[in-house]
This record gives sequence, structure tokens and C-alpha cells, in this order.
Amino acid sequence: MALAKPTVEEIKTRAARYPSRQSAIIPALWAVQHEQGYVTKESMGEIAQILGLPPSLIEATASFYSMFLARPEGRHDVVICVNAPCMLRGADEMAAYLGQQLGVRDGETTTDGAITWHSTIECLGACGGAPMMQVDHHFEENLTPERIDSIIERLRTEPAPHGPKPEKAAAVARPRAKRTQN
Amino acid sequence: MATVQTDQVTLTIDGQSVTVPKGTLILDAAKAINIDIPIFCSHPKMAPVAVCRMCLVEVEKMPKLQPACAVYVAEGMVVKTTTEQVAKYQKGVLEFLLINHPLDCPICDKGGECPLQDQTFQYGPGASRFEFQKAHFDKGVPLSDKIVLDRERCILCWRCTRFSEEISGERELALIQRGVHTIIGTFNDEPAQSNYQGNWTEICPVGALTSRQYRFVSRPWDLDRTASVCPGCSMGCNIQLDARSNKIGRFQSRENLAVDDGWLCDTGRYSFPNFQRLTQDRPQIRRDGRLERVTYDEVIAFTADALKASGQLAGWVSPAASNEELFLFQRLFREVLASPNLDHRSAVLEDAEPDDMTLPIADIEHCDQVVVLGGQDVIDAAPVLHLRLFKSQRKGVNVLKVGAADVKKALDAVPAEAQGVGILATEANKKAAVELQGKLQKKVKGSVRRLIVTTGPNGRGAKDLGILPHRGPGYVSLNGKSGKGRVEWPGAGVKALYVHESSPLHGFVPTDAESMWLSALPLVVFHRFKPSPLDEVAHVIIPGHAFTEKDGTVTSMEGRVQRIRKGIDAAWVREDWRVFQEIANHLGADWEYESVEAITGDLVRALPPYRAVNEGARVLWSESR
Amino acid sequence: MGLKPVLTKDFHTENLEQLSVYERTGGYAGFKKALEMQPDELVELVKKSGLRGRGGAGFPTGNKWSFLPKGVYPRYLVCNADESEPGCFKDRYLIEKSPHQVLEGILIASYAIGCNLAFIYIRGEYLPQHEALESAIEEARQAGYLGKNVLGKGYEIDVILHRGAGAYICGEETALLTSLEGYRGEPRLKPPFPAIKGLYGKPTVVNNVETVANLPHIVINGADWFGAMGTPTGKGTRVWCMSGHVNRPGNYELENGTPIRELIEEHGGGVWKNRKLKAFQPGGASMMVLLPEHLDVGLDFDAIQKAGSLAGAGAMVVMDETTCMVDAARRYVKFFHHESCGKCTPCREGTFWMSNLFDRFEAGEAKATDVDLLLDIGYSIDGRSFCPLGDASTWFPRSVIKFFRDEFLEHVSEKGCPFKKMAQEAVA
Ligand SMILES: Cc1cc2nc3c(=O)[nH]c(=O)nc-3n(C[C@H](O)[C@H](O)[C@H](O)COP(=O)(O)O)c2cc1C
Ligand code: SF4
Ligand code: SF4
Ligand code: SF4
Ligand code: FES
Repeated sequence: MALAKPTVEEIKTRAARYPSRQSAIIPALWAVQHEQGYVTKESMGEIAQILGLPPSLIEATASFYSMFLARPEGRHDVVICVNAPCMLRGADEMAAYLGQQLGVRDGETTTDGAITWHSTIECLGACGGAPMMQVDHHFEENLTPERIDSIIERLRTEPAPHGPKPEKAAAVARPRAKRTQN
Repeated sequence: MATVQTDQVTLTIDGQSVTVPKGTLILDAAKAINIDIPIFCSHPKMAPVAVCRMCLVEVEKMPKLQPACAVYVAEGMVVKTTTEQVAKYQKGVLEFLLINHPLDCPICDKGGECPLQDQTFQYGPGASRFEFQKAHFDKGVPLSDKIVLDRERCILCWRCTRFSEEISGERELALIQRGVHTIIGTFNDEPAQSNYQGNWTEICPVGALTSRQYRFVSRPWDLDRTASVCPGCSMGCNIQLDARSNKIGRFQSRENLAVDDGWLCDTGRYSFPNFQRLTQDRPQIRRDGRLERVTYDEVIAFTADALKASGQLAGWVSPAASNEELFLFQRLFREVLASPNLDHRSAVLEDAEPDDMTLPIADIEHCDQVVVLGGQDVIDAAPVLHLRLFKSQRKGVNVLKVGAADVKKALDAVPAEAQGVGILATEANKKAAVELQGKLQKKVKGSVRRLIVTTGPNGRGAKDLGILPHRGPGYVSLNGKSGKGRVEWPGAGVKALYVHESSPLHGFVPTDAESMWLSALPLVVFHRFKPSPLDEVAHVIIPGHAFTEKDGTVTSMEGRVQRIRKGIDAAWVREDWRVFQEIANHLGADWEYESVEAITGDLVRALPPYRAVNEGARVLWSESR
Repeated sequence: MGLKPVLTKDFHTENLEQLSVYERTGGYAGFKKALEMQPDELVELVKKSGLRGRGGAGFPTGNKWSFLPKGVYPRYLVCNADESEPGCFKDRYLIEKSPHQVLEGILIASYAIGCNLAFIYIRGEYLPQHEALESAIEEARQAGYLGKNVLGKGYEIDVILHRGAGAYICGEETALLTSLEGYRGEPRLKPPFPAIKGLYGKPTVVNNVETVANLPHIVINGADWFGAMGTPTGKGTRVWCMSGHVNRPGNYELENGTPIRELIEEHGGGVWKNRKLKAFQPGGASMMVLLPEHLDVGLDFDAIQKAGSLAGAGAMVVMDETTCMVDAARRYVKFFHHESCGKCTPCREGTFWMSNLFDRFEAGEAKATDVDLLLDIGYSIDGRSFCPLGDASTWFPRSVIKFFRDEFLEHVSEKGCPFKKMAQEAVA
């Protein structure tokens, strides 16, 4: 899927701002993920072309960072932190509850394609409101089973925040070794 | 009182005092006094990265162990490389490296020459305490048609990726993923295109990157190793020819800083199967249209008589023959057969002259401007040049690649303040190179020198030794007694042709016109290493030695005379020079060479600049004229 | 001592994120005043104030600025908003509540060091905060605080907001610069230090969000005012991020030197559920555990270090008596394993191994000798790794082994977590 014109333009504009166009790699990857929901090798090749850089460099960078997705996911991305500060306030129980309510395992997408969830050991920076989860880049803090229920209910019907995420992604495990589930 | 030299630093390593230049790494200072610090990631040609952490040593006044490969010496520094702390840590880090290593040494190509294996033996833990599933990765990933990658064996030393970035500049190999999941790979697993991939296998400190051609062919300890020169092109890269049971297993680099800087290209490295002998063939003479086996004595007598009787004759030697062969071949033609029709070329080219090699390869780094006239053509003709050019570029040399027709563009691009300008071109574009050189000499302040890339591993030797119709050895003029060059032969009434070729890479490939002519020639003597299509038109076939089967010297494009050595023994084949001598003697000459060395000696007497052979140095014509 | 809102003074003001509101609270007066001064005077002022970096290492900010080589331009300022240390959430708070305060600090620092292009590297997860900064920058540009000729004073400054993409290591300053240059966020060799060869090979200063947020106040109120707060080696205030088993977790800006007891018991409302305090951890995931006996230690770089831990990035994770210390350590080890960039052997392989061992304790399959094996692995990681991430991965677990070795052994003898069993029994 070739990149849309505005995405290409955005990449070029970003590249022009930095003293080195290489600095535009991460912004470019964001722009692509924003448009397409994830970043394919093909898009990496396109980024390389736009920026005039070797494509290996784009893949090297893209694969280093945990937020760039290699494959399509559900319309909404739910990440629940289980690092120590959250664990202390019951994150494990909330994660278990979330998985149970969604009916799919950690790293999977609900059958209606609405939600992909996973737990993370990467602290998200909201320990003061633990247990917490990140819902499409917004933090939901002080989770309780009731709050989780209402969030899920909302997400089931809400459209994707951005990008044409596929309407229906099968309930597949994400074989992304990078995320150490626990 | 002695004055303190500010550019020297004195430090103590394991109780020994050592003085080294400022800017020396602890690792190298230790090496200077034979203290061996184990390393993996460090490589003398690459910037330190200190990622493997194998080389950590104690440095007084520094709280942490320091990487010897990345810390520079300082006055009064006290380094300890064998303390209890260091030894315990070395065990620890080796244990770390092994927890995710498959330990399949018995079936690994690197076995026997593997730094990881060696260092584990010397510094490592007795046994591993790791009792979990190793991280699993793909084994046997084809990176290209030349290289296979075993990701489980990779210890992530970054040498191959740094090569790709710092040495070849192609940035084809990259680190992908992160942490313990990090792997080496190409973009999207596409096949690597580089012409320098073989080097990855040499710098990889484990058996992660190996040559597909060499896989499980041999164990290092049963290899016969011979120092020689690459037959690939006129660059003259030094190689080590590794053979087993008299078969070539591989070409490895043999660092010569002035020539190859320690690298080979894949064209040259992987050319070795061409030198594999397939049959044990014998001399043959065509009788009644059929080739019949004869003895060497028979073939020599027959050839000598036939050449003598044939009238107008011509001789072609491939630019892969040794200087000693060339020297005798031209003596045979000029002195014994009295024929001036000698050539080693395949086309009409500008005259060769000593000025073609006034720019030594290593000096490219010291120019401030280098014009590569013909761009990629030049690189294709001598691929390792690219690495020298890229290195120079990284050092700040301005390298300009232009088309052969872009003399004006190059002229405009080189600033008048340039101190040292180099021009590189192939023989085909020599005229343009000379023109550019002339114009630049008028324009710029500094010197302007050129290096013409010749054809074949000894194209330069062939010119130096007068395998040309109009020049004798040492570029002497023939005073009107010039012969005809190869392209003229079909139209010049030549009746007999002697072709000598010892490399399939630089053989006599007939043009269409030549094919017609060849098939009608009364006498074609073909003295060659292995059967080829030319056998079909030959009347006489004399088996000869391959480039890899003989001793002698060859001269690279920059005029460096280097020794080639017999890496494969084909004793049943009579040495090519001996055949020349016997033909000559059959015709009444009284040559008495008993060895290659004797010919070399004579050659140097005839051409004093060739005494350079003794040091592997460059032939300096200007000084001797 | 005690609560001392300086950075957070106006945080109750509604719409503080808007320029006009921020200006009404005195915002940008510091930058305007700074522009009237010579850059060198500013560096001296900050040196004199005694401000130390709030990003973790506590390096004196003015000194860091003065390391830039004379006459080498361009120079860059990079504001480190990568905040990813488990337990820390103060930079997010500072940005969210008052993005202009952070931006003003960046402008002052840039002017002081002679930088015309500054960067903010913000972690990828902080999208709303990214947006807050983005609009702050736009507003400031409209108002003439940013541009080719700032407020007609002939100073040029632009700020580029750069979003990370999920990598804790990018908070380490050299990894941050590598990442900002578009590469994998792997740390670089030091020396050369960023001050000499930083972003794009140019002299660069990296400063934390909270560090720069202090600058407008120092410029306005002076070095003496700042120096009057805190301890002799830890001037000013810090925003402490309290989490874990307390009644009121959250951010608290306290004068340096305030006893830990006050933070936990007074501001945090004490340990929750009327339970007893077991341990606490200042600084963040990296730092060593402290015990109730350390409650009277002051919140200050040096005092905490003396007590056997580090103040780091200002986290305070509180653990009550029901906490399984092995599991807490396990989470951190898994975190470091997950976040190890993979560049160097000890951290890449060592955290992988430790993580496996901790899982074995959790699963009840560990052996008693595994405790010493953990220490042995730590021996080959700590002080041997390429960057502090690897080193730090061993600090908390080793301190826990030191104080709570028995808990490890109980996991072995009881073939599982004794605390989980207790909790299950309580439910049943
Ligand atoms: C692994 C690691 C992570 C770090 N993460 C951060 C961070 O998220 N934010 C931060 O400001 N500093 C972080 N630092 C500290 C920075 O390297 C650097 O010291 C700091 O940004 C300098 O700013 P300061 O002088 O204002 O404190 C980290 C250091 C390490 C070793
Ligand atoms: S493949 Fe070899 S050279 Fe490359 S990183 Fe791995 S061990 Fe090093
Ligand atoms: S450049 Fe020429 S001599 Fe060198 S390795 Fe390649 S083919 Fe051989
Ligand atoms: S210590 Fe860890 S994070 Fe730091 S360089 Fe080494 S592998 Fe990377
Ligand atoms: S050889 Fe020094 S760290 Fe690898």
C-alpha cells in the first residue's frame, strides 16, 4: 500500500526541519503508523526512498522501538502496566480481569476487531494513579473492575482514533518477542 | 635533564613499563609488549565500540573495569590485565556469551579458528550454570548466494555491521530488533548485493557468517596454506590460498596495508573454483582432424618445428602469466623465433607508459581530490579500490566519480588550491585521463598523478616486459621493428598462433572475426591450464599450470612486484617456463634456467627496476632512467 | 522543610497551559529578564544557585553548561522528557500542568548556552503531553518568544518537539542523542561527552524537564533565594513521585532535605490499609531498597546516597508488609531485560538470565543456590556494562537479597510465593 500524499508531504516537511534528514526517520515511522495503523517493510522502503537513506537503516530503527507495530491490530490499543509500582496496587488482578472480560489472551485482538490488549513491563509513567492502562495513548488511572467494564463498553463502539485500522482483525496472538509478558 | 616528549606516553601494564604514542589504546599498548588481552568486538580497522565487554581490565584510580579496546593510554596509567577480579569477570562474560550460543563447534566452519572457542578454552568457565531455554534464532539464513548466517552463533559484536557502514559504506547489514532479540540482517531479508561480503566471514569472530562455498569443506587444521596474490584483477590483493588434499578450499585475505588493507572483493575471493583442475590432461597433437595424446617431449619437438616452419607467426600471453613466463615467452619470440608479433591485450588501447602508475594505491588516501574517471567501471575493474576510496572519503578526501566523457566536469570540480590530485581510470579511458591530467596540471597548485587500472593480475607486468608489438622490455622503442598487435593479426597474413593462458578469468576469447580466422589458421598452439572452447581449433595442446599452481612474480597495476606461489601441486604438468625453454633449445638456443628464481634473476639483470621484487615493492622506472 | 511549591505553585490555576494565563502568573518574565543579561552571566547565576540536574545523576547544571568548548557552533540544547524510569511521573505532570514553564526554561537555557535550535525529546507514550507542548510552542511562536528575532532582541531560537517510540534507554543522554539522530537508541562511548561532541557531533547540553523548569524561578528570584532552600549540596525543591502502598499517591514538591517520613506519612497519608511499612525505594526502578529505619533520612541526593540508595529521578515507591520483595525485584529485572538495548554482553545476556531465574523463583522451581547465582551474575554486570542501565539492573535485586534473603529461600522451601499463598488463604 503506497503512502498517501499527505503522509509523504509530512515526512518531507519534517525532514527539512532537522539539521540531518536521518532525524526524520522516527517522525516518518509515526506518520506512516498514523496513516496505516502499522508499519510494513514496504512502507519502510518508501521512507528510505523519500529520505534518501538505505532501507536497512529504517528497519534497524523501526524494529528497535516497541511502539511501532509490524502488523494490523484492533481499532483500539489497550496496554496495561504490570511493573512493580502498578503491581503493588493490584495491576495483576486488573490485567486478569481485562483479559477475562475481553475473552482473549494477552497480546490478542478481540473477535470483533475492536480491541487489542497486552500487558507491559514498560512503566508508562502513571504510577501515582496505579493500577492504570493506556487506551489509545490516553491514560486511564485508578482502575477498578467497574471502570474497566465501562471503558471496554465505550471502545466496542468507538471508531479508531486515527488511521484506517482494519475493521476486523482475527484473534491472533502477536508473536512479538520484544514484549516480555509476565 | 631529558625533555619530556609530549607525543609519547609511558604507562605500566602488568608491571611492565611501555612507552607508546599518545592516542594509543590500552589494547595496542599491551600488544606492543606481548600482553594479550582477549577481544571480540574490537577490530583494528574500525572505530572502537566496546560492546562485547571481553577486554575489560583494571586501571588504577578508575573505580570500574575499563575496556582496553576503547580507553586511550595516559601518562602514568597503571593497568592490570590478570588480577583476580579481571579473571573472574572474564569467566562471567564468557559464560554470558555462551548462554545463548549453540555450542555446535563440531559442525561449525569456524571450528579450530574461532576466537570464541579459543577464549573460552583460555579464560572461560568450566561449565555453564545456565539451565534455561536458550533464545532461539534462525540458523542457516542465506544472506546472499555467497553467505549464510547462523543467528544463534552470532555474539552481536557489530563487526559485520560496522564493516558495512565504515569500511564498504554500503550499509546493507544492520542490527534488527533489540535486547536479547537483536539479530543481524539485511533489509526485509533481501539478498545482500555487496561485492565485499566474503570479508564479513573473515571478521566474524564466531561461525555466524560463513561462505556457502566453503561450508563444511574442511577443518582449518588440515588446510595447506600458501601465501599468494589474487588472480582476479590488477589490484594485486594478497591472498592466502587454503587447500586440502590438493584442492582449493578458499582464498583468504592476507593483509597488505599498501595494497588491499586486509580486504578482498568477492569477485576475486570466490573465483577459486575456476582454478580447480577437473581432469589430468596430457599434451595432444591434432592428426587427421583428431587430437591424439603425446608425450611432452613429442609435443615440444613438434611445436618447435611447426612454429619454425610456419612463416609469419604471432604469440599471445594472457595477462595472468607470471613475469618469469612473460620474460621467457618474449625471448622465445623475439630472440629465437624472430617474430615481433606479441601481445597480451584483447583490444586496441592507448600506449602504456610508466607514468600510468605514478599514483600508488595507498597514496589515494593522501590526495585531497581524487577523480574516478569512468565511475563504476573503474571499481568493477579493481573492486577493492572502492574500499580504499571510501576510506579516503571518510578521512576527508574529496572523491569525484564522473563518466569517462566528463573531463570538463571533473576539471571544473577540482579547485585550483588542490594540493594533491589523483586520477583513476581504466585502460580504455586512458586518453581522457591523460587529457584531464594535463589540464589539471595547468590549473591546480599541487601535483596531479594518475593510476591506470590494467587488465588481469599481471597486465602491468606484460607491459613492463614488452609483451607488446611495439615496445620491448622496459618500454624501449623497437626502432621501427614493431610487429602487429592482436587485432591486426587476422588481416596481416599471420600463419601460426601460439596462445598461452594460465587463468580462465583472463583467457583468449576470440571475437567473431577471430573465430573465422582461427579456424582457417594452419597452426594454433594452445598452451593452457584447462580444457576450453579454443581446444576445438587448436592443432597442438600443451597443458600448463594454473595461476594457483606455480611460483613466480606478478606486477600489479601500481607496479608492485609480488610473489605468487604454488598452492596446488600439479607435478605431472611440465612448468610453462620449462616448455618455453625446451622449445627454444630445440631450435638451437642454449638456455639453462633451472628454476624460476634463476629466471627472476635474469629478468632483474635485464630490467634493474624489477629488483623491487625482493621487497614486494613498486617498480620505480623514473629513478632508474 | 516540607511542602514548598515553586514549580507547582500555580498548578491549581485553571487553564495554566494557556499562554495568557501563564503570563498572568508571571510567566515568561524570567525569559525576558534573561534576555537582558549576558549569556555568561546566566551561566554564572545558575552555577551560583547550586541547581543540580533532576534527571537522575544530579550533575550541577551550571557546570554542565560551562563545559561547552568556546567558539564552537552550532550548539544544541536537548530537553530530556523521555521519563520512563518506573516510579517516575513528575515530568509528565510538569508538562501537563504548565507546558509553558518547561518551554520558558528551555528558552532560558538555550539563550545561556548560545543555542539557536533546541529539541524536546518526549517519550512516545506521552501523546497528550506532546500535544500540550506543541500548542505551547505555537503560542510562544505567535507571541514572539520563539523565532528569528526574539522580542526584537536579535536572538534566534527554534524548538523542535521530537517524539520517541518506546525505549527506556533513550532517557540515557547519549542514547537519546543517537535516537534523535534517527538511529536505534543505543548509548555511545563517553568520552567524548555530549558537551564536546553531542547531537550531530556538535556541543550539546541535555537537561531534564524539571531541571529547566527551575530556571525561570532562579532568574526571577536570584541564586540566593534558590540557595536558601534545601540542603548545602542539594538546593531547591524536588517533585517527588510517590506510588505504591500509600493512601495518597501522587506528586509532591518538597524542599530538599525534608525527611522521607514526612513525605510518606504526612503527604502520602501513611501506609494504606493500616498496614505496616516494609520497605521503600527512592529514585526509581534502578535504585536500592531502603528500610523503615531509614525513614528519617532527608530527601536529598547526598543523604540518600549515604543511606545506601540513590535519589535518582525522584521516585518513592512504598511497599507494605504484604509485599513480596522477590516479586518486586522480579518486575524490575524483567523491565531491565525488556529495555536492555542489547548493545553490550553483560546487560543483554545477564538481564535475560536473571529474568529467567526470577521467574523460576516465582514458579517455585528455584534452588537455594540460585540466590548466590544471582549475585554472581550481578558481579559480571554491575560496573561492566556499557551504560548505567545494565549496572542498575542489579542494584535493586542485590539490595533485596541483602535485606530479604530469607524471602528468596522461602520461595524455594515453599515451592512458590509465600505471600501469594497467604493472600489466597485470606480470601478463602
Ligand atoms: C538508563 C537511563 C535512563 C535515563 N532516563 C532519563 C529520563 O527519562 N529523563 C531524564 O531526564 N534523564 C534520564 N537519565 C539521565 C540522563 O542520562 C541525563 O543524565 C539527564 O537527562 C541530564 O539532565 P539533568 O542534568 O538535567 O539531570 C537516564 C539515565 C540512564 C542511565
Ligand atoms: S554475525 Fe559475526 S560479525 Fe556479525 S555481529 Fe554476529 S558475531 Fe559479530
Ligand atoms: S580487487 Fe582484484 S585483486 Fe583484489 S580481491 Fe578483488 S579481484 Fe582480487
Ligand atoms: S548496559 Fe544495557 S542498555 Fe546499556 S548499552 Fe549495554 S545493553 Fe544497552
Ligand atoms: S573488545 Fe573491548 S569491548 Fe569488545
